[in-house]
Amino acid sequence: MRKYLAQRLLIAVPTLLGVTLLIFIAMRVLPGDPLAAISGEGGGSYVLSQEQLQAARVSLGLDRPYAIQYLDWLKDILRGDLGKSFWRGEPIRELIFRRGPITGQIALMAVILSWIIGLPVGLVGAVWRNSWTDYVFRFVVVLFMAIPSFWVGLMIVLSLVLAFTWRPPLTIVYLWDDPIRNLQMTAGPALALGIALAAMMARITRSSVLEVLGEDYVRTARAKGLRERIVVWRHALVNAMLPILTVSGTAFGALLGGSVAVERAFGVPGLGLALVFAIAERDWMLIQNLVLLYGVIFVLINLAVDISYGWFDPRIRFQ
Amino acid sequence: MEQPRLGGKVNRRRFLKTAAGTTAGAALAAWSLKHPAPARAALRSDRARAAEPNPKRGGVLKWAGPAEVAHFDVHQGTFRFVLGQMYNNLVRFNPADGLKTIIPDLAESWRISPDGKTYTFRVRDGVKFHDGTPFSSADVVATFSRIIFPPAGMASLYKDQFATVEKVEAVDRLTVKFTLKEPRPYFLELFTPSSMIIYPKKALDENNQDLRKVIAPGTGAFMFKERKVAEKWVMVRNPNYWDPELPYLDGLELLHIPAWTDRGTAVLTGQADYSPNVSLETHQEGLKRKDIVGTVRYPGEFNSYQVHINNERKPFNDPRVRRAINLAVSRQNLIKAFGTQEPIVLTRWMTHASEFASSLKELEGLPGYRADKAADIAEAKKLMAAAGIPDGVKGVDLVSASVAPHAEILAPAFQEELRRTLGIETKIRVMERALLIEELKKGTFDMMVHTEYRSPISDPGPGWEMCLKTGGSLNFSRYGNPEFDRLLKQINSETDRAKRKRLFAQGMALLDQTAPLYLIGFTDHLPMWRNYVKGHASEARVFSELGRVDTFWLDR
Repeated sequence: MRKYLAQRLLIAVPTLLGVTLLIFIAMRVLPGDPLAAISGEGGGSYVLSQEQLQAARVSLGLDRPYAIQYLDWLKDILRGDLGKSFWRGEPIRELIFRRGPITGQIALMAVILSWIIGLPVGLVGAVWRNSWTDYVFRFVVVLFMAIPSFWVGLMIVLSLVLAFTWRPPLTIVYLWDDPIRNLQMTAGPALALGIALAAMMARITRSSVLEVLGEDYVRTARAKGLRERIVVWRHALVNAMLPILTVSGTAFGALLGGSVAVERAFGVPGLGLALVFAIAERDWMLIQNLVLLYGVIFVLINLAVDISYGWFDPRIRFQ
Repeated sequence: MEQPRLGGKVNRRRFLKTAAGTTAGAALAAWSLKHPAPARAALRSDRARAAEPNPKRGGVLKWAGPAEVAHFDVHQGTFRFVLGQMYNNLVRFNPADGLKTIIPDLAESWRISPDGKTYTFRVRDGVKFHDGTPFSSADVVATFSRIIFPPAGMASLYKDQFATVEKVEAVDRLTVKFTLKEPRPYFLELFTPSSMIIYPKKALDENNQDLRKVIAPGTGAFMFKERKVAEKWVMVRNPNYWDPELPYLDGLELLHIPAWTDRGTAVLTGQADYSPNVSLETHQEGLKRKDIVGTVRYPGEFNSYQVHINNERKPFNDPRVRRAINLAVSRQNLIKAFGTQEPIVLTRWMTHASEFASSLKELEGLPGYRADKAADIAEAKKLMAAAGIPDGVKGVDLVSASVAPHAEILAPAFQEELRRTLGIETKIRVMERALLIEELKKGTFDMMVHTEYRSPISDPGPGWEMCLKTGGSLNFSRYGNPEFDRLLKQINSETDRAKRKRLFAQGMALLDQTAPLYLIGFTDHLPMWRNYVKGHASEARVFSELGRVDTFWLDR
């Protein structure tokens, strides 16, 4: 197991180096000058002289050759220094520590919600296949898969404002500081994201359980007189968990970086929103570090998912 | 003989005079709109006060708006409405009379020489910065010298508007003199925007004239307490403020809420007390809930929507083609199409809040501005024929920001108007907003939907200098007309208001004929506040000013 872990982490190094190289090059190749966004009001459209531009470039370290910029960035990362935002001057590590918990909590709550809703719905659909219940569930599942999460988010906010003159808090409140206000802030985005994910989870659960229900060992379990509930829960569901786990892990990673639209709809100042503004402002340093962070998170989540396979399926051994 | 403009210290007699004056000010204001006095100098109150009697003290105002900054140096272009709360200007518009008159701020009084080329300010004695450093004329000199004659490497964004200043000097500890190369009738007004704050000389010297990384102490009503990046700023009342009456509030929380809709819902739901600009739909929702919120339109923000037409590219280098576009494309249609997003107001080459602006009634009958387009389109087609393109042109590059209101409403609406009326076929090229700036600077476009035709003050003089004068810093349409430049020089040095109004009318007529760009209109701001927020006199405002809140108070 240790050897397997070491191997996987070792393989992750070139992957992450590739990520750093790609994002670094992409930022320099794609059009858009960070100085234009920084230089002034109205999006920086005052015309600066070449001297002024050069001075600003030097202050951001952008006057150095690309190779030096890249190597310096890597060195800083290894030292644990993620640098400062070009635009706000804020240390990026602080930004991640401040906004990350909210985004992480929303992603986690969304995944948990998707399990709470998606697993029973998928299971019922599989067990009572082609019944009216299955038809209704399938209709609802397709509906929620088709509706974008940000629209659900907007509807939630709009309904709350119009019906109750209330909206979720707009400033960061951590769970450990004020659990009630924190849940007021995170429940809406988690619900909007969780519903769509639950629909996907229900589909995967249904197809995965259906497949397992056709296996020999399930027939054997039924033949030896086990109750249907035990057959479904112990033999079918547990063995159908691998694809569900894979999707959950990937979805969690994606939600950490990709819940932008929902964060925007609710006005939650999370990491996703920070990335969107960083792209608009051409804040290269922030973009580079956030993309790297997402790369690291994906690698770790994939690793965790792979390891959890062994727990759900004892036949799997790591070498 | 020099004209004195006096402020002064408050004593009982002066206070009573001021109170009476404020009441009279309202009546005067209505009169002065029709009969504007020279240089907006009608002084009825020499200090900023809430318009309401007996304001209550205490409480923390939660302000919702764009509160994030790239750095802390306002004069190098950072967002001023947040930082401005901690500083003072030399002079300011009076919040109590709806921003109609200029009143003293750090300048106690001022004198303007008869030739209009010397402005001498007497600054207040006994004022201290938040760190205890005494304020003096040296701070004013240091501040404006840096703006007007910036050191190498400093991006002084307000340099252009002070281009006529020859010298700034301290006459003595409390007197500052600005010497101008030629008179500017709007010169005093240039000191009123919330960007024109006074920084301490000490901080400038200690930081090599660069305050981007330093929150320099101010003399203002509020002091910095805390900043949570991209979340909020917290400020507390300055207990040693030079004006013992202000501020009424104990503190401020400036919430960073970049989206207009979120600001609106924040005020509607009580998460914020006041926002200077909310989205149209939340503003409309506010109108239905007058029991909890107040709403009004701040007329005449100094920004506009326009289509830059590249005057250096064929066939738009021909003024007849640009004039044809200005005649044929219906401003009413574009304003209506955009009406779901933001209120744009029909106007002619300047903000409708300017005293020199053409009235809506005048515009109703004016070619290019009137609603009935039949005659205008016929005339436009003649101009196109005279320019050698009777059937229009194809493949015109129309650039737009990728934001939905621009890319999905304004640009397609303009495209369709051009195609339908003149046969000009455009291809819309959508780009991210940050990239438009580079295109503007390089001039690599035929036409561009944008928002960079503006003026720093309600007087269009400095705006025209920047946006329309040959080589102006915001002249992105690359308009160059020596006749207009000569006229503008005359407009901006003429001190007689009536003559100036006539010159502006001439200027607008010339611009109508030569059409540097296509101006859709200027916007209005949509503020919203909880009913208990007082002291802003929003209903009385004659233009939009998102500045200081030192006269705000909470009636709860």
